[in-house]
Amino acid sequence: MIQPAAGILVWLGASLVVVGDGRRGLAAGIALSTLGLAVLAFVTAGAVAGAAIAVGGAIAASRRSLIGPGGWEILAPGSTPRLVLCIATALVAFWIADAVTSGPVASLRFGLITGIALSAARVLSTAEPAAQLSAVAIVALCAASVGAIGSTEPGVWPYVVGGLVAALLGWLPMRSPIAA
Amino acid sequence: MVIAAAALAFAVAFAPPAASRRALLVRGGAGLAGSAAIAAVPTLDIALLVLLVLGAMQAVVAGTRSFAVRLRPPLIAVAMLALGLLLVRVEAPDLVARFGAVGLVAGMAAAVGVLPYLHPIESDEALTASPVAWLGFIGPVLAVVVVVRAQGLLHTDAGGAFGGMLVGLGLLNMAWGGVAAWRTADEVAAWRYSFVADWGLVLCGFGLTVADGQRAALLVLVGVVAGRLPLYLISRQAIREKTITRRPINLVVAAALAGSAPFVGFGARILLLRASTQIYWPLALVLAVVMLLWLPGSLRLGRSLGQPRGRQALGVALILAVNVAAGLYPLPLLAAARL
Repeated sequence: MIQPAAGILVWLGASLVVVGDGRRGLAAGIALSTLGLAVLAFVTAGAVAGAAIAVGGAIAASRRSLIGPGGWEILAPGSTPRLVLCIATALVAFWIADAVTSGPVASLRFGLITGIALSAARVLSTAEPAAQLSAVAIVALCAASVGAIGSTEPGVWPYVVGGLVAALLGWLPMRSPIAA
Repeated sequence: MVIAAAALAFAVAFAPPAASRRALLVRGGAGLAGSAAIAAVPTLDIALLVLLVLGAMQAVVAGTRSFAVRLRPPLIAVAMLALGLLLVRVEAPDLVARFGAVGLVAGMAAAVGVLPYLHPIESDEALTASPVAWLGFIGPVLAVVVVVRAQGLLHTDAGGAFGGMLVGLGLLNMAWGGVAAWRTADEVAAWRYSFVADWGLVLCGFGLTVADGQRAALLVLVGVVAGRLPLYLISRQAIREKTITRRPINLVVAAALAGSAPFVGFGARILLLRASTQIYWPLALVLAVVMLLWLPGSLRLGRSLGQPRGRQALGVALILAVNVAAGLYPLPLLAAARL
């Protein structure tokens, strides 16, 4: 039961980043996805991998809770299409992870597909740097976990680098464009 | 990597007076370090994370496009590549691995900035902040890493699909880039499209899974990094001043850009035609026709160089000499790449 719950947490976190606009909502989304991915990394690659994801994601979430538009701003008016996107992505990802593909850790496949797809959609659909960097953090953590698919010993380095990238990207200064 | 480092040194040494050499050195050095990291890391997964960092860092560099617009291409590239890797590695029917190959090709195209994902471009943007940095500097290393690592992951069926998509995308980019470099109104955009056309040759070469195809791709990449990129850098001042000249030097530069003999692009084109003949000869006919599209665009770009003087004239002479040397004697380059 732990693995399916972790997969759902990844989706829930990415969905929060998609439907949220305030820094608290975005931070909660990163934190939920981090929790799910850390559990899945612990199961597939061991304690060090899980810890690397957890620490990197926690730093990214805490940074996001301080920087960005105030409040939660979850499901603001006009966000219905985003909500539909989250649900549709979950359905398609569940079908791919459970029926189209096989092998161990279907929850990880589900979590990665939803995490990556929803984060990419968020980056394409917004110009708000806080939301974009939140999505980038989730993509970094998911990309680090892709090595666990189809590999018996993925190694911990992708997880360490992924955690580091997620933690560091939140500190980037965001400049305004210079007028030509 | 060595050629990219040499291109950076050239850019710093021969940068137009208006360009900030220090900023070029720092930002170019960061890009070079990132490219080295992409090439050196043991797995493609970590390379994706390095790509993400590089993209985010470039999005932070001051430019005329917004942070959000500049962050999108690398993020989409990493997302597509990660999904592609996932689908390639997972236990599933062959069809799923083919979708994985689609993800890998689309991700590579998004990272480099070729069709179907052309990065937005602004004429006044600094080179380090513009999409040309991906097309001419980071992209070549990234593409080689993605293609080599992906070919090791893909099974026969998905590998064939991967090659086919590269060839198709290559033809599309050659045709689109060639026509757009000729017809577009903006000179900077014309240069960008000329990079896109060259990338079409590269993608075709990578897609033709015979040694000559790989050799052709490598030589075109050498031409991009050691020829087109530094020539574009030198031409930026003339473009800003809207200077157009029709002197012999402009004709020689146009010949180099068009891939005529004895420049490096000529050998690459011959190898590409030979590779396509080995695999499917009608493709060689199509390639030969599409290659003619380089001519009008290159004449235009050659004129846009203006009349280089002093240090820049020396730079142009050096570029042409290097391209002639690589065209006449490419064996050391191919041997270094074990091709």
